[in-house]
Amino acid sequence: MDISSFLGSVIEQSTPILLAALAAMITLRANILNIAVEGMMLTAAFVAIAVGDATGSAALALLAAVVASVLVSLLLAIVTLVFRADFIVAGLGLNLLAAGGTLFMLEKVYENPGGLRPITFPELWRVPEGSLSFLPVVGRAIEGQSVIVLLAFLAVPACQIFLYRTPTGSYLRAAGEDEAAAASAGIRVGRMKALAVAISGLLAGLAGAQLAMDRLHFFLPDMTSGRGFIGLAATLFGGGLPYATAGASILFGFFGALGDRLQVFAIPSQFVLMIPYVAAILGLVVARWRKVASQRPAAVKEAAP
Amino acid sequence: MKAIRQFFEAVRAPLGAILLTMGLGFLLVAAINDEPVLAYRELLFANFDSLSNFALFLNRATPITLIALGVVFAFRAGFFNAGGEGQLYLGAMAATLVALALPALHPVLLIPLTVAAGIAAGAFWGWVPATLKIRLGVDEVVTTLMLNFVALLITSYIVNHLIRDTTTYGAISLMIPKSIWLPPFPGVPGATIGFLVAVILAFVAWIAIFRTEWGAEIRAAGTNLRFAEAVGTPARQRVIGAMLVSGGFGGLAGALYVLGVGHRFEQNFSPAYGLVALTVALLARIHPLGALATALFYALMLNGAAYMQIATDVPRSLVNLLTGMLVFLMTARLRPSVRG
Repeated sequence: MDISSFLGSVIEQSTPILLAALAAMITLRANILNIAVEGMMLTAAFVAIAVGDATGSAALALLAAVVASVLVSLLLAIVTLVFRADFIVAGLGLNLLAAGGTLFMLEKVYENPGGLRPITFPELWRVPEGSLSFLPVVGRAIEGQSVIVLLAFLAVPACQIFLYRTPTGSYLRAAGEDEAAAASAGIRVGRMKALAVAISGLLAGLAGAQLAMDRLHFFLPDMTSGRGFIGLAATLFGGGLPYATAGASILFGFFGALGDRLQVFAIPSQFVLMIPYVAAILGLVVARWRKVASQRPAAVKEAAP
Repeated sequence: MKAIRQFFEAVRAPLGAILLTMGLGFLLVAAINDEPVLAYRELLFANFDSLSNFALFLNRATPITLIALGVVFAFRAGFFNAGGEGQLYLGAMAATLVALALPALHPVLLIPLTVAAGIAAGAFWGWVPATLKIRLGVDEVVTTLMLNFVALLITSYIVNHLIRDTTTYGAISLMIPKSIWLPPFPGVPGATIGFLVAVILAFVAWIAIFRTEWGAEIRAAGTNLRFAEAVGTPARQRVIGAMLVSGGFGGLAGALYVLGVGHRFEQNFSPAYGLVALTVALLARIHPLGALATALFYALMLNGAAYMQIATDVPRSLVNLLTGMLVFLMTARLRPSVRG
């Protein structure tokens, strides 16, 4: 197995998961369990292909995808924060709306419920071949990766800095940790939550665009196929911390890339695909178990008679 | 008189949400099609045009009703069970496996056994997140959602690698013995008595929740777990019990689907019945009889979408779009919050 090409496919598989995970992480820090990442990604994927097909510009397609995803996230923010809809239910609704809306557009506008496959599609900017040949192994894995992949990996330290080194980030975390205390300290909790949802829309938009226009250049109904939930799983496994979340995303991407190759060795892909979901549950269980165990009163030994 | 007024107050909000969504949908159809009235007639009433259409409608209503009843139990216990889909799939798989393993057994024994296997598998899949929540406080929305994917992958593995019907194309299992196929619904040859089971269970669920001590304890646990515990209600056991029932309903839906409609396990047999049923239960304000009525309405739309597409070429995904809109707006309140 060629290590550089394997590493390259790990990076590629990790990117949408990583972006989705960061999207879910930002909202998680504002105390919102964001299951709508999936729907935002799907919207972005569709818009990316539709706009790229119509304009022939990769930059416009990427921009439109991100804008569409942010608009969708703002819709979610308005419904939940202004009209006080339940976030989980509205999130499920958004996922259904995105799936139904994109399918409806495929059937009505493009008259092909099977998907949207433009004959030609503009290419994203990529790291030029041979430009990183001075780096052993890693260089060849990064060469040929698209600008979205680079943005995804830059987003990790960016999120870290935003959450821990900026006033807005601290307000956002405060609003997530204790709403009432944050409000009495003068923090506008609603705005912070809306900001978190909008940032998650931005990141989910990049994730959807990467999925649709990085290598594939087409849109299929339900093409995100649960990646938003894998991202959520990575966030929960990483405990909502940027670097740990990134680590979990890359781990899941690694298993995804490994799964593609393990099929050769007759290990059923289903069990490899199961890893993120099981890992998320186990991660939560271990975190809660440690907390419960640390709060348990010390055992009282009875004195021998 | 008072009872009627109470009834209208209870159904006002869900009916309003449905009417609003249907109205928006009508505007959408009118914008893209010349015959919006015909399209809506097909969507809602083509189900009654022929006995076979009606049978398909009943067959669709059955799993939605059953899973929704399960969701009602879970929500009454304060447990957000988003795992209906996984419970449905495992129930269907367990029923198929038992039926395929013991084909020689007499139907009188085999039918109850397959149904019991389905219920047990679904109940187990409900027990896992319930125990995790009660013992450790692990958030149930996450665990039930994640367990859906795990269940889908487990069943996908079994159907593809262990019991696949290799003579046909696609990921479907071998056929279960014909002797245990469910008998037809009286008067409607294409439908199965599974629907009758669902209707009866809706009434049983109403009695269990509102007219038994067990149900009262479930509702107490759901309203305030710590208070219920403090006054001596075995609230934690009731939450786990409610989730066993909830998962069991999902498993039963899967088993009845295999015995009555599919006659084998098909990968992707459910058009997101779990999610639709969650919607139905929420729209019905987690009331068993309301869930039955709402499930019928939903099945009407889901099944009618196909006839609408044939008659007017309005895409059937209109229904998915409408469902999404409905769920998205369902819990919103009309009066906006003043807090910024």
